[in-house]
Amino acid sequence: MAAIEFSSVSYRMPNGVLALDNIDMTIKEGELVAIVGGNGAGKTTLLKHLNGLLKPSRGEVRIFGKSTKDSSVAQLSREVGLVFQNSDHQLFSESVKAEIAFGLRNFGFSESEIESRIEEVVNYYGLAEMLDRAPMTLSGGEKKRLCIATVMAWEPKILALDEPTVGQDYLNKLRLRDVVKSLLRKGRTVLIVSHDLEFLWPFKPRTIVMGMGKILADAPADQIYLDSELLEKSGLRQPQLAMLANALGRDRPFSDADEAANWVKGLFVRRYDE
Amino acid sequence: MNCLAKKLVEFRNYSFKYSGASSYTLSNVEFSVEEGEIVVIAGASGSGKSTILRSINGLIPHIYPGEYMGDVFVDGLRVKDTPTFELARRVGFLFQNPENQIFMFTVERDIAFGMENLGYPPEVMRKKTDWAMQLLGISHLAKRSPSELSDGQKQRVAIAGSLVMDPRILVLDEPTSLLDPKTALDVVELVKKLNIELGITAILVEHRFELVAPIASRFVVISNGKVWSEGKPEDILFRDGLEEIGLAVPPIVQVEKKLMDTGADIERTLDVKAFAGRAISTWQR
Amino acid sequence: MAQVLLEGLKFRYQRSVIHNLDPRVKLLLTAMLFAFSLIGSNFYQEAITFCLIAIPAVLARVLRRLMKLMVFAIPFSLFIILLNIWGGGTILHSFVIAIRFIEIVSSTSLFFVTTSPDELEYVLRWFRFPRDFVFAFATSIRFVPVMMIDLNQIIDAQKSRGLEIEKGGPIKRIRNLVPVLVPLIVTALVRSGELAEAMEARGYGAVKKPTSLFNLKLQSNDLMALSIIIPGFIALILLYLVMI
Repeated sequence: MAAIEFSSVSYRMPNGVLALDNIDMTIKEGELVAIVGGNGAGKTTLLKHLNGLLKPSRGEVRIFGKSTKDSSVAQLSREVGLVFQNSDHQLFSESVKAEIAFGLRNFGFSESEIESRIEEVVNYYGLAEMLDRAPMTLSGGEKKRLCIATVMAWEPKILALDEPTVGQDYLNKLRLRDVVKSLLRKGRTVLIVSHDLEFLWPFKPRTIVMGMGKILADAPADQIYLDSELLEKSGLRQPQLAMLANALGRDRPFSDADEAANWVKGLFVRRYDE
Repeated sequence: MNCLAKKLVEFRNYSFKYSGASSYTLSNVEFSVEEGEIVVIAGASGSGKSTILRSINGLIPHIYPGEYMGDVFVDGLRVKDTPTFELARRVGFLFQNPENQIFMFTVERDIAFGMENLGYPPEVMRKKTDWAMQLLGISHLAKRSPSELSDGQKQRVAIAGSLVMDPRILVLDEPTSLLDPKTALDVVELVKKLNIELGITAILVEHRFELVAPIASRFVVISNGKVWSEGKPEDILFRDGLEEIGLAVPPIVQVEKKLMDTGADIERTLDVKAFAGRAISTWQR
Repeated sequence: MAQVLLEGLKFRYQRSVIHNLDPRVKLLLTAMLFAFSLIGSNFYQEAITFCLIAIPAVLARVLRRLMKLMVFAIPFSLFIILLNIWGGGTILHSFVIAIRFIEIVSSTSLFFVTTSPDELEYVLRWFRFPRDFVFAFATSIRFVPVMMIDLNQIIDAQKSRGLEIEKGGPIKRIRNLVPVLVPLIVTALVRSGELAEAMEARGYGAVKKPTSLFNLKLQSNDLMALSIIIPGFIALILLYLVMI
């Protein structure tokens, strides 16, 4: 049974625009999938179908086999955690502690369970010293981690992140990468909507490229990242190591700078061997 | 640096502490920007970049008071002693969020906003508004409402609104961080165009080097409120220690550095394709 | 229901005899209609006023939209009728009061539906309202659509954390508003801070009397309209006096 299944899903917005056009997509449990594309491609619309915020005009979305048609957003959110782009649209409590407790209370956890989960999650996401601080006083990177923490507190099996790196600096992006790595280790299914291909680079995720509401490509990162034409058409910036691989005529992107440097050195050595 | 070129912006041993803050946000900042340059100020979050920018157009200290030591000069004027509207005539400021710097209901009225504030006569405003819209390719949006525009278009409206005040300097605070890659590139190219065609000196804060390296004449790297280093992009990006202060080194630079570490004699370049071309032609002769 | 109310007051760009009028003329017209609905004291007078509101509504092609507003106005006016009867008034008189209410709502709506926020700002400026006041007022209106988008995003985010806005008794429902209102207010406050910076950066306050890109000027169609409206209303007042 797949974790997420989209069968011929189309979604028409109230103003008549077709935001999703016949989407077929299957995601297995424990997979990491990147959903990329330019603005207006339909990525956020797709995410909103995961927890029932939007229901398909046509077709069906199934989460662990159950159609989203008959479930409420609250019911689906128990299984699918959605973290939106703007952290300030979510944080409202007097303390980090209360913020994390909010979701847990909504889902009916007991007070003692809430206490223990808060402690666990706060240590896991490096927010322990900020337990009593007001969420609004945290830095951008801390707010993002807090948003993820509040959602992971109730341990949904699927986590979807909408543009988690927008506005974040390098160090915070590194920390976000660590968060994603640990989630995968725990066996969670993770979807990341992003136009920051460099950020996704180390994960080499299965990458779904969207454009105009359709899926333009669904392939491993290695393949997608080398396709400079597709990336350009989708308004995405090709990661430098993939661009380098293309320019050097290699059929696979370089995993990291070391690999690239060694390969270029290899060119030099090869010449001498001839 | 050309010593004969005019210094439009000068930071002289400048330190600033926001009132109520426990420590200085900036300490002994010293650098200058010459006419015609495009200077990128880079640094991790919290390093003080935004404070530097706001010290140029007078938001500091006039809107944000605090302990102000040293001096900042803009076009010969001492910022501390010059009211913000005087500085507004010389320094255009573009903010990070395209939405929150557009006030009026229609594009053309928002572009004219600055001129209205300065009391320009209507005929002049009409001419300049049309000129700015033409220059930025947004004439067709004149009567549109800003909420209908894309982020890239909003950014252009904001730039137009600054240009009509005839600034010699354009300051941009992380103009691309909320934009998608294509729009981000457009904005960067637009800055270059304005620099070449109108001779506008640009100072922008950006922490993604690859994006702005092609247009920057100089990087000024800030760490913990101090100037860590400044110089040409090819010099700065190859320096050690960037990662430690929270800045990402572009992958192509990492590759070149590794090759140089093993003794290879390569020419520094930030252009991936140029590097590949040279690698192939040099080593596969 | 809030949506309906907003629809009835929202300006939409259209060309019509009424829309093309100078906003001051539109204000005069709708203000007079408003005043007349209050002055009228018997059924016939209110009926006349009712027709008078309908005419520009038809000319402006907004009649259908105004009728949508009736969805809100009619139940309210029925309530007024019942209240008045219960208070001892005659059926006819209650009816008159109800019509008056509908007229007040529609004449107000007629103004806002045919006048863009831009024009509204020019009118306020022309009335020499203090610049700061007009600017603050206009800017808040300008950001209403933006705040609506924020509101929807906030609601989506909180629903995704299990918040069920529609459920629960009155107390729970009010408490459920906190996770929605707090981020909305905070976002608005942060926005004001950014706007304040942008204002300074664009020289706000440099000059005591800022100039304006456009200036209101009465044109031929405005003069024609005034030549109908002003004598028309004078005639109407005389008619009313006769009817009393």
